[in-house]
Amino acid sequence: MIPMRRAVVSTAFLALLAGTPAFAGDQIRTIDLFTRPQAAQPQEFQSIQLIAQEWRKLGLDVNVRVMPWEQMSDVVWYQRDNWDATAWQMVGRPERSDPDEIVFNLFHSTTADKGYNFIGYLNPEYDTVVEAERVEIDEAKRKELIDKAQEILAADQPNMMLVHPKQTFAFDKTVWDPASVVEQSGIGIRNTWTFMSLTPVGEQKDIILNSGDNVQAINPLYISGGVDSWVFELVYDRLVRVGPDGLPKAWAAESYEWKDDKTIAVTLREGMKWHDGEPVTPEDVKFSFETAVSGEAPMYAPFATNIENIAIDGSTITFTLKQPAASFVTSSLAKINLIPKHVWEPIIADLKTKEENAESYQEETPIGSGPFRFERWLTNEEIVLSANKDHFNAPKAERWILRIVPNVEAALGMLRSGEINFLAEFSGDPQVLLQAAEQDGDLETVSTVEMGFRYVAFNNRRPPFDDPAFRRALSSAVDRRLIVKAAYRGYAEPSNSVVSPALGFWHNEAVVEGFEAGHDVAVKILEDAGYTLEGDRLHYPGDQKETLAE
Amino acid sequence: MSHLKAMASRALQLALVLWAVVTILFLMFRLMPGNPMAAYIDPTFTVEQQEALMAQFGLDKPLWEQYLIYLGNLLQGELGQSFRYREPVAERLMTLLPNTLILTFSSLIVAYTFGILAGAYLAWRRGSVVENTAIPLVLTTRAMPEFWLGMVLLAVFSFWLGWFPAGGTRPAGASYDSLWALYTSREFLSYLALPALTLAIYSQGLPLLLMRSNMLDVMKEDFVTMARIKGLSNWSVVVRHAARNALLPVMTSFAIAVGYQLQGNVVVESVFSWPGLGRELVNAVSASDYPLAQGAFLMIAVVVILMNLIADLLYSLLDPRISHA
Repeated sequence: MIPMRRAVVSTAFLALLAGTPAFAGDQIRTIDLFTRPQAAQPQEFQSIQLIAQEWRKLGLDVNVRVMPWEQMSDVVWYQRDNWDATAWQMVGRPERSDPDEIVFNLFHSTTADKGYNFIGYLNPEYDTVVEAERVEIDEAKRKELIDKAQEILAADQPNMMLVHPKQTFAFDKTVWDPASVVEQSGIGIRNTWTFMSLTPVGEQKDIILNSGDNVQAINPLYISGGVDSWVFELVYDRLVRVGPDGLPKAWAAESYEWKDDKTIAVTLREGMKWHDGEPVTPEDVKFSFETAVSGEAPMYAPFATNIENIAIDGSTITFTLKQPAASFVTSSLAKINLIPKHVWEPIIADLKTKEENAESYQEETPIGSGPFRFERWLTNEEIVLSANKDHFNAPKAERWILRIVPNVEAALGMLRSGEINFLAEFSGDPQVLLQAAEQDGDLETVSTVEMGFRYVAFNNRRPPFDDPAFRRALSSAVDRRLIVKAAYRGYAEPSNSVVSPALGFWHNEAVVEGFEAGHDVAVKILEDAGYTLEGDRLHYPGDQKETLAE
Repeated sequence: MSHLKAMASRALQLALVLWAVVTILFLMFRLMPGNPMAAYIDPTFTVEQQEALMAQFGLDKPLWEQYLIYLGNLLQGELGQSFRYREPVAERLMTLLPNTLILTFSSLIVAYTFGILAGAYLAWRRGSVVENTAIPLVLTTRAMPEFWLGMVLLAVFSFWLGWFPAGGTRPAGASYDSLWALYTSREFLSYLALPALTLAIYSQGLPLLLMRSNMLDVMKEDFVTMARIKGLSNWSVVVRHAARNALLPVMTSFAIAVGYQLQGNVVVESVFSWPGLGRELVNAVSASDYPLAQGAFLMIAVVVILMNLIADLLYSLLDPRISHA
């Protein structure tokens, strides 16, 4: 054993003397790996430390660079050639229950230049699969295509998928009947369904919940912060809502039916009223979809641009699409807020003459037709909604009061003292929450696997990350169970697919189960691909040069 | 005449300071790493949206042009529109300002009343056991981080004893006819108590130590000795003669403290979920919301500058020996 190693060393020494080592490429430069600060993102930070450690064992020099989100996203998004690898995350939203948004926008070549494919993943075969998936109305066939897309990603590893975290929320069971809490797949118990069905067991009939972030706007034509959506999903109805099972459910629509792959007929529910007492008409629905593409609501435009024509016949609204779109029901019908034409028509007309658009327009009292009415909004302090008893699915609670609590420990204390009775956001350690619930006795917690996920994005534009074998090796260097345990304390599911196990129908379990990880697996992949260790450092295969060293 | 001239030079100085603040603010946020567009990054974020946003925010123009527009708008009293909230900055700040002012002033009044009395007392009891234990204690309160003190008060008085609510300015869902009705309500006082106490404990050290050392100086002065020789009571000497004179610098430090306190509010407002300027400032900076951050900083800077001016004026008013010449 010893003489052999000596032989290797002396060969390397000779090659070095000769000047051009014939059997190895250049040494791989120091790799930058971005993460957000520990204070802001403790789990992410911890995961990145673990990953860097494993990568170093492979002979890479890894430089972990800690930076706040604004700075990190600025580099990753706007300087696409200037980074190597970064921690990233995708959050779960009801509309993402259809996998199209994720599988298409994150990896299709058309979004590589300026869209969400910021990693620069280019694979014509993948493009073909997701283009086909988009227009496939037959669910079984579409499922095959989505499976195929997940397999390609698993083989190519454009990203290193880490985990689907679990979201933990809590509520006071002496205030709310636990049986009335609805767990939405991939989202958790903080959802519109819960807020509509929460049933009081005692005197307290107000849902009082917390948020760490301020509400930015309550505007049906502006996609603003995540917390804002909690509010406007209650104030505004949509034709379809994503149900607790993650599948679309007719809502303001009595029913909907595909006539052919480009035509869908929607029947509007009868007897609905706006909060100002006016009836909800098919014209209002048409107006809502047309306003999205009017140029005054640019953020909603992508969800309605595929609509060629909207025809009204009695209470039936027929949408004709430019191209077949399988995800249309979830990504458009369940996305566009229904707004009253009599309120918004003059506002939109006025905005057309002005420079600003509807995104900067804040109604004094937002008028929707949803299960809750808007009452008042105190800047950075609270939002008060009251139950709309005339709604076809009237809430059991009296009011919905959102308190802005930036201090997470205080939020937990408030839950215990009764200042709030539904913990809608908890960014601290879930263990702390569970212990508090146990001590308290009045609290119940529910943890749900998220639709969203955490990952390390590889810059596929830059060597060595342009080599699928290298990405595969780096990805398989770390056992995800280690990350789940050490960084997430068990509150996460290991991941190898962008389609979360929470989306049971679309998730391809085989790609997760077939994923092998560990140091030895990674070393083998690197060796097979021709990467060599010289001394302690990893070198490119063949005679590949390092072109990006500083 | 010289009086007028002094006033004019004073005003010019103010204008210069303001211009410098405004320019530094402008450059600071734009040179800082980060991008206001970060908040919008989403899988459905299209190229057209990105360009439209840049244009809407005026970020597609060269820096010097942005600067000129910014200065021009400021001269017209226009602070611009917040990127994040899409509403006029001035309007937003004005709704938050009263909350911050009431917290600042109530805590400072408590801190100064206590600090002055305790400072005078400690000077009087110079060298006693009371003084020897009190001074290190005061220095400790001064060294305690505000957020830590806030969390301790929260844990004890709110979560353990349950005497005070943990955050906000009013009970959930409560509505009041006016700000005045809110501020004079009993509930408001219970919400104000802990954040104000945190700030007061933190800020009482300055007036206390200042008052004490002034008192010690003044007590050595001839007129105090004179008063003693006259046979006046100890009380009369300390309160009517020494304390009144020692008070002057403390009163002017109050004005300056208002400015400093606005910084301390940043932390306390976050701990106690207080909807004020400080919290807004932190959010605006971390979201790269340039107009809002500039506006909030500018507002604080103006308060500080104004308070300094008041301190100066107060000085010359209270002590005729100091003149503009």
